[in-house]
Amino acid sequence: MAPEAVLSHLHRADGSATYTYNGYSIIGAVNGPIEVQRRDEMPEEATVEVNVRPAVGVGSPKERHLETLLHRTLQSIILTRSIPRTLVQITLQVRSLPADDTSTGVNTSLTLLPHLLHTSILALLSASIPLSTTLTAIPVAIPSSSKSAPLVSPTANDLLRAKPLRSIHVFAFSGDRKLLLNESDGAFSYEEWDEAYEAAEEVCCREGGVRLGEGMDVDMDVDMDGEGKVANLEAWLREVVKEKVGREQRWRVAT
Amino acid sequence: MSAKSTVVLPGDEIPASSLPKSPNKNRPLTLGPGLRHIPPNTIATTVAGALATDSRKNAAWIEYNSGRYLPITGDLVIATVQTSAAESFNCHITPNTPFATLPHLAFEGVTRKTRPQLTFNSLVYARILNAGKDTSPEITCANPSTGKSEGLGPLKGGMVFKISLGMARRLLAGRKGGVTVLDGLSEKVGFEVAIGRNGVLWVDGGSVKTTLAVGRAVQEVDEQALGEKGQKKVVERVLKNL
Repeated sequence: MAPEAVLSHLHRADGSATYTYNGYSIIGAVNGPIEVQRRDEMPEEATVEVNVRPAVGVGSPKERHLETLLHRTLQSIILTRSIPRTLVQITLQVRSLPADDTSTGVNTSLTLLPHLLHTSILALLSASIPLSTTLTAIPVAIPSSSKSAPLVSPTANDLLRAKPLRSIHVFAFSGDRKLLLNESDGAFSYEEWDEAYEAAEEVCCREGGVRLGEGMDVDMDVDMDGEGKVANLEAWLREVVKEKVGREQRWRVAT
Repeated sequence: MSAKSTVVLPGDEIPASSLPKSPNKNRPLTLGPGLRHIPPNTIATTVAGALATDSRKNAAWIEYNSGRYLPITGDLVIATVQTSAAESFNCHITPNTPFATLPHLAFEGVTRKTRPQLTFNSLVYARILNAGKDTSPEITCANPSTGKSEGLGPLKGGMVFKISLGMARRLLAGRKGGVTVLDGLSEKVGFEVAIGRNGVLWVDGGSVKTTLAVGRAVQEVDEQALGEKGQKKVVERVLKNL
């Protein structure tokens, strides 16, 4: 199934999105560009602030770690120099996690990371913050048995069944197929990493980069294949934006 | 523009074939909101929206209707006065952003002795004089070259309504925006409106009932993206209840 996304549904925030996929549900809100605290102010750049709130309880070092990763990745795609001396505040509230998330035996911050990235990019798009490119992210798990292929975008249940796992990787790509973020955990060889990287790239990026003009008229192959996996995340993102634009321009066709 | 438009994501490069081609060689291509030029000759988008072009003006821009208002020189806005400094008022164009300055003398026919006394939360209808990204925006209630107010100035009475940025743009665009609800209402009731590009609509209908009816009608047209027929129905219903 493709991830579900609802954009601009919070009235008080400048931009917001709710993202639901594989049992993960995250609400993201973006406020910006707003006034920045004097000590965080940068003369030539915007300050990016990321807050991750867990589903239960208050933030812990795990959330701090995720915030750091998100901060670095998002700062590289937000055009911070075009809105200097301002603050872009991104708040991500995890609403629900898959039931067997903790029993999979893998690092739970890695399995959550791609979903947080997707939520934040959707909220940023909804807030119309100037961005240099878009972003898509995906987790890849490599099982211990050497025969089985890497699991691309596994559900918590998939991970549980594939136990024991050798390693788990998270890849994030920009719209022009460049690697923005890679986090890996476990033991793996360079060949294995390469295989995981290629599998992730195939799902995240579209063939041959961006093709303009297909936007609205060509109906895109966003739908899922037989396995129930997302065919292509870049195409999915484009579909979400198409819906947003369609909603905004509906007065043009209204009678 | 037709409803079938090109949807773009941030980072998409606009090919030369999609840009307007002006017959006039001397008129350079103008890039509006959402587009940036990467030297030597790449034009890329920075926001998600629909690509719009105007071949007569040789301009291209991205249409979107979400996010916070960013001040642009020449825009009409409704600002809220926060404090008064030695030489100017500190105003908010949108909440939680740095102050915009409104000089005490930027009103029609004002001298040092007769400057307006604006208190906290007073509203002013103003034009953005300059909005560089390196300075805080400066606004004015008088045309700097003629000193005339041209309809700008403090707004007294009435009430403000929040509308979407796209709706504010449509209302100011006149006929092209396709908003007929105000024309329809004005045939039967008298009221005064001011539209700020920062997503603020100020209405003064003389009585609370009229003010609310007009403001709510515009908000309804905005939220439901009503066309001409839908707007006519709203007008009929509102006028019946007044």
